[in-house]
Amino acid sequence: MNLNHLSRLSALVGLCLALAPAAWAHHSQSEYDLRSKVEVEGTVTKVDWRSPHAWVYVDVTNDKGQTVNWSFELPSPVTLMRRGWTRDSLKPGDRVKVSGAPARNYPAIAIANSIRDGNGKPLFTGTTRIHEP
Amino acid sequence: MLTSKHPSPFTSTSPVRALWPATLLFVLATGPAVARAQWLNYPTPGIPRLASGAPDLKAPAPRTPEGKPDFSGMWFANVPSRDSCREKDCIQEERMAREQINLGITLKDGLPYTEWSREQMKTRRANGGREDPHSYCMPPNFPRAWTLPQHSRIVQTPSMMVVLHEFNAAYREVYLDGRPLPSNPNPTWNGYSTGHWEGDTLVIETSGIRDDMWLDIQGSPVTESARVTERLKRLSLGLMQIEIAVNDPKAYTRPWSVTIEMALQVDTQMLEEICMDNERDTKLYKK
Repeated sequence: MNLNHLSRLSALVGLCLALAPAAWAHHSQSEYDLRSKVEVEGTVTKVDWRSPHAWVYVDVTNDKGQTVNWSFELPSPVTLMRRGWTRDSLKPGDRVKVSGAPARNYPAIAIANSIRDGNGKPLFTGTTRIHEP
Repeated sequence: MLTSKHPSPFTSTSPVRALWPATLLFVLATGPAVARAQWLNYPTPGIPRLASGAPDLKAPAPRTPEGKPDFSGMWFANVPSRDSCREKDCIQEERMAREQINLGITLKDGLPYTEWSREQMKTRRANGGREDPHSYCMPPNFPRAWTLPQHSRIVQTPSMMVVLHEFNAAYREVYLDGRPLPSNPNPTWNGYSTGHWEGDTLVIETSGIRDDMWLDIQGSPVTESARVTERLKRLSLGLMQIEIAVNDPKAYTRPWSVTIEMALQVDTQMLEEICMDNERDTKLYKK
């Protein structure tokens, strides 16, 4: 590979990474299949509000009537707090619809891209409040 | 109802004593927010403000009693927030510097990698970036740390600049007392840094960096043979420019430099982010 090829590849990788619907807070996210999508509806059982990423656990009833506890990765609590979220924004018992990208190697684990309440209202909105120079 | 459990890879400032009128207006305007979590929206004291109470970020750069530019303050890459996320789902949207992915993104031909570097990056890319020290919660090494999605705070004294970083509650020391760089030092994540003034520019020289450091997510290396020079200019109250120059003959065929901008973060606070507290993603890589 010559330098020009590498530069073009670097630019392509950079573009792909920039466009990926993913957090880069501390890892590459190659553990998730970002081209696939999973959507579930269920009840929050636990919120793990710790660094480097918050996790939300949701009980989901599958086609066989079994309850499966899904794990959804969120950005870091620090990022979420700067967008107005708190550790109490989601609570056990909350009814949610979650979509995201599934883990490549494990079932029932995904990175969340959307969390809505039982009525379909987005729960993760808002931007970091900043003063721009 | 039956219950099935999938096997899991996881085993388990002090207060403001006097508020001037503009700040008071600001506080009143943001009253409900001020009462929110910690000091995330608490007014930063001692900075110039507009009549609206907003910080006057275009005001001149502050100076120390000795007349030098004062870089003290909380800093983050100068990237805007995403307005599109105010109404939509944008869980994973992050404010981030494009240099976080590729530090040489503004260079026409990219970074001038040596053959050794190209081989390193080929392996790192083939492994999906999972060898990135940042993924494994290792320290936020400078100069990479300027581009990370966590914030830095500079504390400047006449003889030392300290840079605190949210990720792993880390610190970096820059000696301003005229001492030389050490000879044959034990390599470290941040190396050893001294600074001197060239007019209003603070020039920071660093050597003694470990041999296996990454400069960005795509894995651009920096090694023990590197001499890194950072030239800091505070252009205004709200803006700092950092030229990062790297001379690393093991990793690059010639010296190169890039310039990044940092924006002052006011009316907020540093937030601790201890990565090892609950790191799980590296477990998802392995099976």
